[in-house]
Amino acid sequence: MRRIPTVSRKSWEHSLVNGALIVVCILAMLPIATTVLISFKRQEDITRKPPVIFPCDTSTQSFDASACRWAVEGYQRVLAPKPSETSPLGFALTGNMFRIYVPNTLLYATTSSLLVVLLAGMSGYAFSRYRFRGRGALMTGILAITGVPLLTNLLALYQMGVTLRKAHLPFYDDRIFIVIVYIGFFLPLSVWIAKGFFDAIPRELEEAALIDGCSPIGALMRIIMPLAMPGMAAVFLLTFVNVWNEFIAGYLLIARNDHKPVMFGLYEFLGQNIINLQVIAAACILIALPIVILFLFTRRTFFKAMVEGAVKG
Amino acid sequence: MQRSLPHRRGRRNFLPFWLILPTLVVLFAIQVYPALYTVWLSVQQREPSGWIFVGLKNFARLRNLSQFGESIGHTIIFLVGFTSLTMIAGFFVALLLNRNVRLSGFYITLLFIPWTIADLLAGMVFRLLVVPDYGLLSGILQNPAIFPPNGLSVLTAVPPRPWLGSFPFPPAPALVYLVLAATWRALPFVTLLLLAAMQTVPQEIIESSRIDGANGRQVIRHILVPLMLPTMVVALFSLTLSGMNGVGMIFSLTGGGPGSSTELLSYMLYVIGWNQLNFGRAAALALMIAVINWLLISGTLRVTRLEEKSR
Repeated sequence: MRRIPTVSRKSWEHSLVNGALIVVCILAMLPIATTVLISFKRQEDITRKPPVIFPCDTSTQSFDASACRWAVEGYQRVLAPKPSETSPLGFALTGNMFRIYVPNTLLYATTSSLLVVLLAGMSGYAFSRYRFRGRGALMTGILAITGVPLLTNLLALYQMGVTLRKAHLPFYDDRIFIVIVYIGFFLPLSVWIAKGFFDAIPRELEEAALIDGCSPIGALMRIIMPLAMPGMAAVFLLTFVNVWNEFIAGYLLIARNDHKPVMFGLYEFLGQNIINLQVIAAACILIALPIVILFLFTRRTFFKAMVEGAVKG
Repeated sequence: MQRSLPHRRGRRNFLPFWLILPTLVVLFAIQVYPALYTVWLSVQQREPSGWIFVGLKNFARLRNLSQFGESIGHTIIFLVGFTSLTMIAGFFVALLLNRNVRLSGFYITLLFIPWTIADLLAGMVFRLLVVPDYGLLSGILQNPAIFPPNGLSVLTAVPPRPWLGSFPFPPAPALVYLVLAATWRALPFVTLLLLAAMQTVPQEIIESSRIDGANGRQVIRHILVPLMLPTMVVALFSLTLSGMNGVGMIFSLTGGGPGSSTELLSYMLYVIGWNQLNFGRAAALALMIAVINWLLISGTLRVTRLEEKSR
């Protein structure tokens, strides 16, 4: 080994590392790839015994690329497009998933992320810039509930939801409650992330603005907010993805089916399509795709917020 | 030293309080109050006339359920399998990525995708592979040689007879499969965390130990692992926390079955609370899980604090 020149040893090592990483990546992608594969199969290829991996066999050959029977039947059954005269596209998606559950989740994820950004921005700024009595205790308190999982509070939240529902408050329904629940659970981490981002903005900028006659709120809006935008974007994204992916709270705390979120829709699909695997697979792809695309475009922001969050909570 | 913003002395500045107040109100309503409410629920029982105080009866009943003991066993097996597998695999993938090959950024992006997928969805994806008879892997796994006597699917094969008393070991194939699915989803998170810690280990230390004649394994054992220990503990605790409380994957992958062989404590909470509608007893269970969560969270805080101090 020693006699091999270092350069070739280095490159040999590199290709070994590369090879190992490629294997790891293939293993990581395999479940997703098979789901994509299943989603494009036809019903008769799904229910064949024994199962075939590619629906490309003919009576004479086991694999013939020209004989592949790909289909979009699964997607059609999830989306259920029907021609419609009122819709601007000429057709409307009549499947429950995209008619009810996706809009619901979009509503919950957007509102709770925006409110989390607002609240986390406000308190993160206060914790970063002001020294006041009780600051340390409050920060420790928030740190202590960062990372507390939803599960153990669900029973109490469920009872609270039932009580609130019975009170017949004006304008109130489960949608308001679930948004507040999501805010409450994703806020502590966001406060920490926001504080970290504010800490990184030099105070001198703000002090200069104050000396020049800017009000504290004006300095916050004009100087700090533009600089804190990347941090706020990270908080927004993280909360959005968390709410989109959340299942158990949306499933249990919302009474009416037409208020339930997208993960409930998927769970319902699972029960309805026991052997129509292509329908389940297509639904999975359609629901995962927006988040995966969002991640691919914003991965830097994402990683930063993740590592920050993991170390804190 | 950090200076605070100029504010007039003598008159208190109330701005920070107003800024923090909304956060505190929401956190109290959604985190603190429900936690106290759960404590109250755990000593109550629902009767037609309303809630009545039953003291610690809920806890005693829970302990007497054979299902409860089994569920603890399943949870322990799941957590041990899931955390050790994820930590070891994550460490090795991080080691590979730390070599800084040309395409690292690409690999990290690709490897990270499973983490963005919801746990319920990940469970469904893994379920598709082994659905009895029709899953792509069912052909291989429904083999009498693997799951005797009749070659059932992973999802339906009954657990083998336990070796020691009532502790459910060896686990049902479905539980092993659940461990694999959970590992698949959690791996990117741990890899990224460990990679970040690995990159803070100064290269000079590793090089000088190499010059002193340490081999790869010695470098890992005596330099990397001790220096990364705080992060590893944080990763381990946060994996345990998510494994303890993550219930979505069980819903979509196994539904607790076959029998109750994949019923972890988290899923049992759902079964007692919403299937059996016994909120008092479920609250007792929730409280036990919450205590474990608290231990894990305070352990994490202690480790991160120590690390901050030592810097």
